[in-house]
Amino acid sequence: MNLAVYREKKSIGRQSNIVEAIQPWIFVGPTLVLLLLFLMVPALSTLSLSFQESDGTLSSRNYAFLWDSSALGYLQFRLAMRNSLMWLILVPSLCIVLGLLIAVLADSVRWGVVAKTFIFVPLAISFVGAAVIWRNIFAGGGIEALETINGSTPSYQIGLLKSLLGHTAEYNEPLYSLKFWGNFFLMWILVWVQTGFAMVIFSAALRGVPEDTIEAATIDGANPFQMFFRIKLPQIYSTVLVVWTTLVILVLKVFDIPYALSANDDDKLLLATMMENARNNWSIGGDNVDNLYAAIAVMLMLTVVPNMVFNGWRIRREQKELGN
Amino acid sequence: MITKTLSHFVLGLIVFIWVVPFVALVSTSLRSETEAKTAGFWTAFTPTELGHRFSTHDKGEKIKIFTMNGNIFDRLNKDKDSFIVSGEINSILIKQRIADPEKPGKTKLVRKLVPAGELMNVRGGDFIFSKDGSFTWTFSEETLPKPKNLDVFINQNPIFGTDAYIEVLFDNKNVPNALISSFIVTIPATIIPITIAAFAAYAFAWMQFPGRDWLFVIVVSLMVVPTQLAFLPILQGFSGIASWATALNQWLTDCEVKDTCQVASKSFASLWITHTAFGLPLAIYLLRNYIVGLPKELLQSARIDGASHLQIFTRLIIPLSVPALASFSIFQFLWVWNDLIVALYIGPNNSSDLVFPIRLQKQLGTFKDQLHLLNASAVISMIVPVLVFLSMQKYFIRGLLAGSVKGG
Repeated sequence: MNLAVYREKKSIGRQSNIVEAIQPWIFVGPTLVLLLLFLMVPALSTLSLSFQESDGTLSSRNYAFLWDSSALGYLQFRLAMRNSLMWLILVPSLCIVLGLLIAVLADSVRWGVVAKTFIFVPLAISFVGAAVIWRNIFAGGGIEALETINGSTPSYQIGLLKSLLGHTAEYNEPLYSLKFWGNFFLMWILVWVQTGFAMVIFSAALRGVPEDTIEAATIDGANPFQMFFRIKLPQIYSTVLVVWTTLVILVLKVFDIPYALSANDDDKLLLATMMENARNNWSIGGDNVDNLYAAIAVMLMLTVVPNMVFNGWRIRREQKELGN
Repeated sequence: MITKTLSHFVLGLIVFIWVVPFVALVSTSLRSETEAKTAGFWTAFTPTELGHRFSTHDKGEKIKIFTMNGNIFDRLNKDKDSFIVSGEINSILIKQRIADPEKPGKTKLVRKLVPAGELMNVRGGDFIFSKDGSFTWTFSEETLPKPKNLDVFINQNPIFGTDAYIEVLFDNKNVPNALISSFIVTIPATIIPITIAAFAAYAFAWMQFPGRDWLFVIVVSLMVVPTQLAFLPILQGFSGIASWATALNQWLTDCEVKDTCQVASKSFASLWITHTAFGLPLAIYLLRNYIVGLPKELLQSARIDGASHLQIFTRLIIPLSVPALASFSIFQFLWVWNDLIVALYIGPNNSSDLVFPIRLQKQLGTFKDQLHLLNASAVISMIVPVLVFLSMQKYFIRGLLAGSVKGG
């Protein structure tokens, strides 16, 4: 291209400085407006709602469940926090251990890809769907009134696990309704869904471990366990951390599974289901239902904050490495 | 060698645990109502003893007889065109009054299982049946017996049918409506955010403006804000808009306030826009990282050739970013299709417009004794996302990795 043509094109294509300055804002404008209107302003407005009475006067009454044992939601909040803590510890760690195990094993056998697909599929289905699926496994006895259906039947245990455990004929609760222990069956459903996520990430990370470190370890006579724990795991440590934060945030927000299977059971509450209960069932307790709801939402947000800070820090660091 | 065998075994066991629930789901959906609620899904594949009830003959049928010959299977399968019962008759449960040994002069009701080939007393006649289902009912003199309902245990052969699917898809509008609603919600809620996010991602990647880097960090950190925090104010906002629209509608068309011109605050449109906003942070994160990775020389030479940002964006960036766009669309599609909570708060709540997860959640209650229908409905809800997922797995994985493994 000769210089004259180049100059000409440049002068045609060159946008004026004003356009140059405004254009980026047109590109990001819709995003900023939507995020402002649908996330940031509502979040702040929920925060302010949580410190108000229903008539708008300033009050800390909505948070009374934190210290006042006679306040609405006192017991539920404690149960929800207890359960959240159990979910927080068990679900991410089980997903990570299983995900790592499957990633390593699938790499060593020829049908690994098929195996991984099976583990992976639950990621595509809804939590409610997963609840329906696992209901078949965790169910209790068939139906209560045997006589109402065609006669009766000697084998009427319809839950696989109870049947394997040898429970027979009497009508009994599904396993996820058991007091306290029911929580673990609900957790397992989430583990079943999310292990595929951990597995995929770890699979890729393990493939990224430099060959020479593996070769060196092989030459030194490392056995498979040493290879994994001494060589591979330390090198994918940061990936494990990322998966862990993602899962923690997911668990804190989890709603569908306990809502679908044990919506009104205080013993199975998590913060998100407690919010829903506050909105639907506690109206007898006062007129500040929405404000109480807001207060629980703020508590939920507080549990996420440490992760948010960590995530923000990670993204900043990543952008520095990527962008510069 | 031992570790190799152990690998196969452990992985096999894990895959088995992962797959059994799917087997339970599909097999339950293909069984009859009685089977599904009386015997576990694992009994569906082998002959299993199940209870049935049959009547010896039809109610209106008046026959004077000494002997009646019939077949239990014929009686059971009368009027049936699916789930035809076959197998071997084990026993009949009979309730009889016998003299009470503890209270002389009184009788008591006892239940007894009578095996095939054993004579029993039914309405004063001798009733005997064999394993193949044929029965003979003999009386000492000519009688006009009333039909008798008998509970029979049959070692039943496995049988599957698609009746549950036909029932949920065609006999009732709930599931087809849920399917349609889910499509109505999901498609725009996937396309709108990706369009908006692509522009923003381009600006964050390749345009210069004050505060760019930190706006980006703010946008991306919104990814972890629990959406629950925003529901109530959003809902209030939509009700505000709806009452405005209602007033406007009233003013323009002077219709009655009730029913006809009421604009709903919870609608498909409110779901589209809310899902769009909630999806934007991840979309921008994925797309921006992808666009930043495209060769800088491309942009520079295009700029030198005099292309405007809009031209570069539409002609260059969009075609080159197809993999990243595909990654995000799958995430958003699956997320919106499977979402329960946003739809519960913001979505339409009249029965015909419910999205599938809400419908399914309701069916967990209404179908608790019709497990074949519950499972069939769940299968239908999963077909679309699983197909999308399996056919575009590559992009899904790429998106997951871009979000979590540096440089993946």
